[in-house]
Amino acid sequence: MSAAPSPADSLAEALIDAQDQLLALYELATLTTESLDEDECVDPILQRAARLLSAEITFAVGETFAPEASSAMTVVAKNSSGLSGALTARRDAEPFGTADQKLLRAVANIALGAVQTSRLHADAVAQAVVARDHDTASELAQLALPSWRPKVRGLDVFARSDPARTAGGDLFTFVETPTSLHFVVGDVSGKGLPAAMMMTTIISSANAAMHSHGADPLATLSSIDSWMYDYLSGSGLFVTIVAGSIDTTTGELRLANAGHSPVIAVQNGVPSMLAATAPPIGVLPLGSTAMTEDRLALSPRDRLVVCSDGFSEQLDAHGNMFGDDRLLRRVADLSNGAHDHGSTLFDELDEFAVGAAQTDDRTLVIIDFHDQSVSRRAA
Amino acid sequence: MDIAQHTTDGRVVFTLTGRFDAHEADAVKDALHAEIKAGHSDLGVDLAGVVFLDSSALATLTSAMKRCREAGGDLVLLSPSDPARVILELTRLDLAFEIL
Repeated sequence: MSAAPSPADSLAEALIDAQDQLLALYELATLTTESLDEDECVDPILQRAARLLSAEITFAVGETFAPEASSAMTVVAKNSSGLSGALTARRDAEPFGTADQKLLRAVANIALGAVQTSRLHADAVAQAVVARDHDTASELAQLALPSWRPKVRGLDVFARSDPARTAGGDLFTFVETPTSLHFVVGDVSGKGLPAAMMMTTIISSANAAMHSHGADPLATLSSIDSWMYDYLSGSGLFVTIVAGSIDTTTGELRLANAGHSPVIAVQNGVPSMLAATAPPIGVLPLGSTAMTEDRLALSPRDRLVVCSDGFSEQLDAHGNMFGDDRLLRRVADLSNGAHDHGSTLFDELDEFAVGAAQTDDRTLVIIDFHDQSVSRRAA
Repeated sequence: MDIAQHTTDGRVVFTLTGRFDAHEADAVKDALHAEIKAGHSDLGVDLAGVVFLDSSALATLTSAMKRCREAGGDLVLLSPSDPARVILELTRLDLAFEIL
């Protein structure tokens, strides 16, 4: 019969246990892994814990089961994100003591932390991939806008579109002949990549339509309508769009406008709004409204301006809108040609909007008509 | 923007007050589409208190109008304020909506 341990022996044993726990925790805490793979993060922790406890150890993320046998001990760890895991240790040699249970709880928490880190990293990587694809798609969409500017004798053309995000639904495109310029300017409802995706398709259909019917803007819009209605309608979008053609030998401007504003003609120095004659494409089924065409006789120094609403509706830091009245006054300033004046107007708008966010895509197209003997610099 | 809702003569009417732009479009869209999904295809949107409409707002109204018509009903616009009426006329959406 063995004697009961003395208080001194018990105290010494407790101190040794505490020291062993501290060393074990130190070993676990100093474990490093160069991988962020979930298994590769957790396995070394479990292996080290198994060696320290001389036990078989498993860790099940999301589980909260109870021990199955007297030789097993399970501890459950949970974190503030709701992630949980059950760590089970099995050892036949001797039962687990209180100190072992504390150590197992620490191991479970360390393993759960490793799993959480691994999953957060995986989420961040997935989001980065989506963001990169989004940026690439946006850049590709904006490339659908022509980078070249028409150089038709007798015309000076400025065109620029600044999307509110990395891509937008505003569009312009041109088809030129030696004596004429056909153009389409539009604004797909909505913003960002969804609008930009639709914008690219509309540019393609507009280019095809202008190559077939360029001198006839009504036919151009009718073709775009017939090709795009189902797509626009099905996606819940519409496009305000204006098609035009200028014959530089006669000065005749033909214009068809489906819901787009503002469109401004400056004739003899006097600006006036040209109203749309039909709703935007994508709103009403093809042919349900009768669209009409505007015809203007341009004289040298006359100007056509087509903006998107994001240009005229830009707010300043105090909530005041740039506005159509200001725009009318500014576009009627003929002291500079289309290219210089367009750049100046964008600068003015940027200055106006200091302290306020750009909430919509901004597009400005200016076409100055000159005597054909005058060749102006193209933008 | 405030969105209030009541029913008049069997028509669910949403009364909008304030600036109706891209920031508010989703909330209005959700409210309108929830009613359509619940089987109510006769809707009204009261624009008397709307001080501004942008293209996102117009797209929201247009989309809901088309869904109502597909379901055999309609979405009508009620008492548009002057700014709202100007936008509807400039875009010729006044030809697409019934405006009371």
